[in-house]
Amino acid sequence: MLIFKLMYLIRGYVVIHLDDINSEKTLNILRRRNITVWDVENKNKGIKFKISYDDYIRHSELINEIMKPVRKKGFMLKLNKLKFRKGFSIGLFILIVSLYLLTSMIWEVEVVGTNQINTKKIIELLQENQIKTPVSISQIEEKKLETLIYNSFENYKFVEVFVEGSKLIIFVKEKIPEPSKIKSNEPSSIISSKNAIISKVIAKSGQPVVKEGSVVYEGQTLIMGIVKNKNSEEFVMVPSDGIVYGKTYYNFEMKEEKIRNINVATNKSKTVYYLKINGNSIKIIGDKEPYENYNYRESNIYVPIVSKLTDISILKGVYYEEAATEVQIDEKTAQNKMKVSMYDELLKRCNEDSRIIKSTINFSEDEDFYYLIAQIEVIEDIGEKVRIYPIEDTTEETKED
Amino acid sequence: MSKFNNFRSKLADELEIPNDALSDNFDLRMHGNKKVIIENHLGIKIYEDNMVSVKTNDGDITIKGSKFKIEEINNYKVIVKGNIKEIIFSMKE
Repeated sequence: MLIFKLMYLIRGYVVIHLDDINSEKTLNILRRRNITVWDVENKNKGIKFKISYDDYIRHSELINEIMKPVRKKGFMLKLNKLKFRKGFSIGLFILIVSLYLLTSMIWEVEVVGTNQINTKKIIELLQENQIKTPVSISQIEEKKLETLIYNSFENYKFVEVFVEGSKLIIFVKEKIPEPSKIKSNEPSSIISSKNAIISKVIAKSGQPVVKEGSVVYEGQTLIMGIVKNKNSEEFVMVPSDGIVYGKTYYNFEMKEEKIRNINVATNKSKTVYYLKINGNSIKIIGDKEPYENYNYRESNIYVPIVSKLTDISILKGVYYEEAATEVQIDEKTAQNKMKVSMYDELLKRCNEDSRIIKSTINFSEDEDFYYLIAQIEVIEDIGEKVRIYPIEDTTEETKED
Repeated sequence: MSKFNNFRSKLADELEIPNDALSDNFDLRMHGNKKVIIENHLGIKIYEDNMVSVKTNDGDITIKGSKFKIEEINNYKVIVKGNIKEIIFSMKE
């Protein structure tokens, strides 16, 4: 019945009042003429009912003769009225058309993530490809534009194009220039990367300036890239190459608690539900933080259709109760744990080809903690290649001037 | 009920098809005591606030109660809404 009424609300219906004691006769006449009548009500010595606007037009002579229509209702009838209000209709039409045009065009291009010069270049590239503002949104092919910009410029590692309202947004991420590697024929020296005692120097090219047993500090030159030319007594710069092994010492101090507090999950949990609208959460059911110690996990529940059309979803949060318990850690476990973390730390600080020569590890304990104090002696390659540059001699030129 | 209509009604029963497909018998359905749907009717005889009488091939159906309103009436069916207290069939012999 609701659909039936809604249909006639759109198509139009007529409300009729009949001041007749013998109203049944009229209803039967309408029925015989195949006119559907609905919402028949007794009103002040007569009846009131509704018939469709189409039936009213078709049988208007008969209806006007025996009864009087009270009012006409419906969307189509309202539309018909617009025929007589030409100015309003034209204005409404222009408004709809201009709104459509304004919202279906790109009026501004915004480039995010680069400087003004590159922004200009991107806009020029777009103009060359017939994308000048204003341009219809339907003409914008985001993926094609992304490929075009990415291929045209070498300095972008990521390009994203999207339309937001009437704005075309181009998001670019510039490449970070990689540090240049030292070429094999470039003049270079080898310096120490750590404080160490030299144990072996193997110089393939360049002049070694340290001997076995010398103590070197971080940044000190080990193999010099400036050598004397045997024939001309001049100094020339050469690329240095070689391996310098040095003894390095690593000291570690670690401690481990004897009694540790651990949270153990009980089997209790409580759930709380939030309504998430545009990133804001409103609590619907449940309590926040129901336990003193808890582990909180949350998940999104997407409502079919609603979540797709709008940014509305339901957030489900579960509080799992945890009980704090004290655990006694025995000496061996603590020592092993400290040892493992010490070697992990050592691996991070040493080179890959390092070799442990000697390790001194001492364990001790007090009331609360186990302690580890260790010194590890390691042999490793401590050389690091650095580029060297010739210094232009300007003193002679100034003398001549 | 005419003899021919009676025969058609029996035939419909034997063939296990809806009775109103073959016969001119009326079909009356009630939704609780609030709504009555009568199909295959011949018109309204009486329409008052506390009584509605509908004519059919077999006789008259009188519905008594209060606050009666005809929700829909067309050539085929009539839907009466209100507080129904009594339904009386005055059948032709």
